[in-house]
Amino acid sequence: MLNASKHLLFILAPLVVVFALLPGVYQNHLLLFNFVIFLILAQGVNIIYGFTGYLPFGYVGFFGAGAYGFAIMVMHLQTPAPLAVLVGGLVAIALGLLLTPLLRLSGAYFAIANLAASLAVLHFVANPALEGITKGPYGVSLTGTFNPTHAYYAAVVVMALTVGAVIYLKNSPFGLALQAVREDAVSASMAGVNIIKMRVIAWLASALVAGLAGGIYAWYVSVFYPDNVFSGEFSIFAIVFALFGGVATITGPIVGVLILYGIYNLIGFTTPQYFQLIYGLLIMGLVLFLPAGLVSLATRRGWHVP
Amino acid sequence: MSPEKTPILKVSKLVKRFGGFHALDGLSFHVVPGEILGLVGPNGSGKTTAINVISGLYAPDGGEVVFDGASSGGVASHKLVHRGINRTFQVPKPFLSLTVRENIQVALAYGGAAGAPSIAELLEEYRLKEVADRPAADLNSAQQKMLDLTRALATRPRLLLLDELAAGLNPAELDWIAGRIKALAATGMAIIVVEHLMGFIEQITDRVIVLNAGKEIFEGTLATAVREPQVIEVFLGGEHAH
Amino acid sequence: MTYALVAGVLFGLYFSLVGIGLNLVFGVMRIVNLAHGDILMLGAFIALGVVGIAGIDPLFAVPLAFVVFVLAGVLLYWVLVPRLQGSANPEMLSIILFFGLSQVIEAVTTIFAGTSERSIQSRLLGTVFTTIKVKWFGGKAAGAGPIQIFGQGFPAPWVIAAITSLIAIGLVYLYLYHTRLGTLTRAVMSRRDEALATGIDVDRVSAAAFGIGLGIAAVAGVFAPFMFGSVTPAFGADATVTSFAIVVLGSLGNPLGTALGGVVYGLCYMLVQTYLSSWADLLPYVLLIVILLLRPSGLLGRRVRVA
Repeated sequence: MLNASKHLLFILAPLVVVFALLPGVYQNHLLLFNFVIFLILAQGVNIIYGFTGYLPFGYVGFFGAGAYGFAIMVMHLQTPAPLAVLVGGLVAIALGLLLTPLLRLSGAYFAIANLAASLAVLHFVANPALEGITKGPYGVSLTGTFNPTHAYYAAVVVMALTVGAVIYLKNSPFGLALQAVREDAVSASMAGVNIIKMRVIAWLASALVAGLAGGIYAWYVSVFYPDNVFSGEFSIFAIVFALFGGVATITGPIVGVLILYGIYNLIGFTTPQYFQLIYGLLIMGLVLFLPAGLVSLATRRGWHVP
Repeated sequence: MSPEKTPILKVSKLVKRFGGFHALDGLSFHVVPGEILGLVGPNGSGKTTAINVISGLYAPDGGEVVFDGASSGGVASHKLVHRGINRTFQVPKPFLSLTVRENIQVALAYGGAAGAPSIAELLEEYRLKEVADRPAADLNSAQQKMLDLTRALATRPRLLLLDELAAGLNPAELDWIAGRIKALAATGMAIIVVEHLMGFIEQITDRVIVLNAGKEIFEGTLATAVREPQVIEVFLGGEHAH
Repeated sequence: MTYALVAGVLFGLYFSLVGIGLNLVFGVMRIVNLAHGDILMLGAFIALGVVGIAGIDPLFAVPLAFVVFVLAGVLLYWVLVPRLQGSANPEMLSIILFFGLSQVIEAVTTIFAGTSERSIQSRLLGTVFTTIKVKWFGGKAAGAGPIQIFGQGFPAPWVIAAITSLIAIGLVYLYLYHTRLGTLTRAVMSRRDEALATGIDVDRVSAAAFGIGLGIAAVAGVFAPFMFGSVTPAFGADATVTSFAIVVLGSLGNPLGTALGGVVYGLCYMLVQTYLSSWADLLPYVLLIVILLLRPSGLLGRRVRVA
């Protein structure tokens, strides 16, 4: 499709080129890595919330599952890192499959059940009784696979795939059908759409990208605790970034991450509670004054935003 | 109506309960290709429930639905759409944030059958051409009803269920839509119409079934029905005498 | 076993108090107040403040917390809700909005109470605990031991919290069934759209319910330091999930059903603590998910029904 190739050429290609080249000119590689991770997670939220309408308050569950999938493969089976990342993605898909019954819930019920699920996974992984497998609350150390450069480029690849997936959704009947299910499931089924299948596919796709991101994150940082990779901040940030830019678009979540995570880093990391305050106020302001995100400023003027 | 045709839909002894309430209590009827059948009855008599069961939104609690020779009771909606059943909704529920064109595209892509009309034809025939690229949320309620109808027609149904399509349309629009429905039936499509507007029912149907408390109490033409004491009793006794 | 059961009932009554405000707000407004747990946390900090600054019995924090949060709730309602209900998707946006509010509350509390306060709390709470016993049992500072039920000793604060919960639930009942505003509240709960059509001032009823819901949450919070050992500004998020589990366990939209949900939850909580303690952390989450999945019909039919 014509639009799709335009989107690939003018959105995806520049994004990949910029993030592939930036490490050569910019020294703070951890920051760049975090940008890429949040681009993946915000687009993952876009897939499940923007296109499908499920608000994943526990999205970090997939991320953490991916990180631990990676860690367990590396610790117990000495798997090479790229393969372990794939396993991380598969673990997230398995968790997604386990949680598919949650898709029967709607609105707040889904959001809260998903949050509860991610906390359940956290407490499960961090349980001292599982120390032999997950190292429980004591955290994992994976110095053998430590290679931030490779991990960074792996993240760029996953980001490219994720943004590519969103471009596909934005330009295909499949993406239209997903949005139709989001808008009205009964009408969608009367348009011939198998709504259960559509939802499960979107759910597992967003689980997969978060799981891959989690695996790569584990690869990059190599030492972490359950509380790190299951931190609710990943869910919050990904959701806020996506909402801030505007969901169900390709560019919205990208703009959201670049602006908000940019500001976040400009202010600095030293006092988390001030960020939390600013983020809380930002979320509230967003809902009250700009519920459809930044892109709605343009669409209100009749401009088309991809 | 030609009685020698094989029915495309046969409903026998259909039962649907909600808690202790029998919304359908042994309903039986059939409809043949090209026929326009009216379902009439007071509020709560089971008309919309019948349509919901036939279109797969509810699984029946008893009885049988046979569409095109195969049992279709309890089959998922989207599968029934593929087999050739579609419907409109009393309160249309278009995909509000999608454009009119995209609304129809979804149905064509996922429910479209060979020989389905094109988007351009549907937009033209149902007076949606001017609003084709506007979000469905911008449409007025009559336009939303037409969009709902085009969504159904895009899947080229052989059985079309219309749930109060005429309610809220003005007299000129009523005449026009009556013409469209008859034209659809003339192509061989079987159509079931649930409607409160008796004039409209009289104008388009070949035959009506009068329902009360989930049961059929009369079958025949509307002209005969209105002389039937049992039917008069139900309508005058109820709050909805039209 | 007897110990676990009695403790379960005591905790259960307290859990009812924890959940009932959330359910009241949900019943009237169809909004899940994700800042519910943070209001509890603030209630706990009021108790800490009353003890730390005024040096008096933390039970004085009960009326204080209630009044402050009823007023705060009514104010908050008028600031936030009308704007929300004018939007395209109020249900989803309200979740996000109240989530933002919960972040703000947690952050502001952390800024004022600080992280250093957190470590002091557990030691401070010990002294508070003694203070109550002294106040309540006629100054027998040394002799104020646990309260005996069925031949087993239970910490006095558990019993006090359970009694307060019973009183509060009774008052909610009186409000709903024996006051004019309460009758209107029940009308709005059962059919919001019809209540609007019949000319009930839904905004006034909702604002009152929101205020009362927050007030009760704050009262429950006053006891949180005693029931859970300590409280930090981050306590709110867990408390919200727990409250939601309790409310869903009872019956969403029926505040008095929460009393039952609380007791069932309390019993589960104590039994798991006693027999499976290493997995006790998982309980609220797993219970919540299981109940949501098994009893969706109790959830007001919000599910999309497609065969």
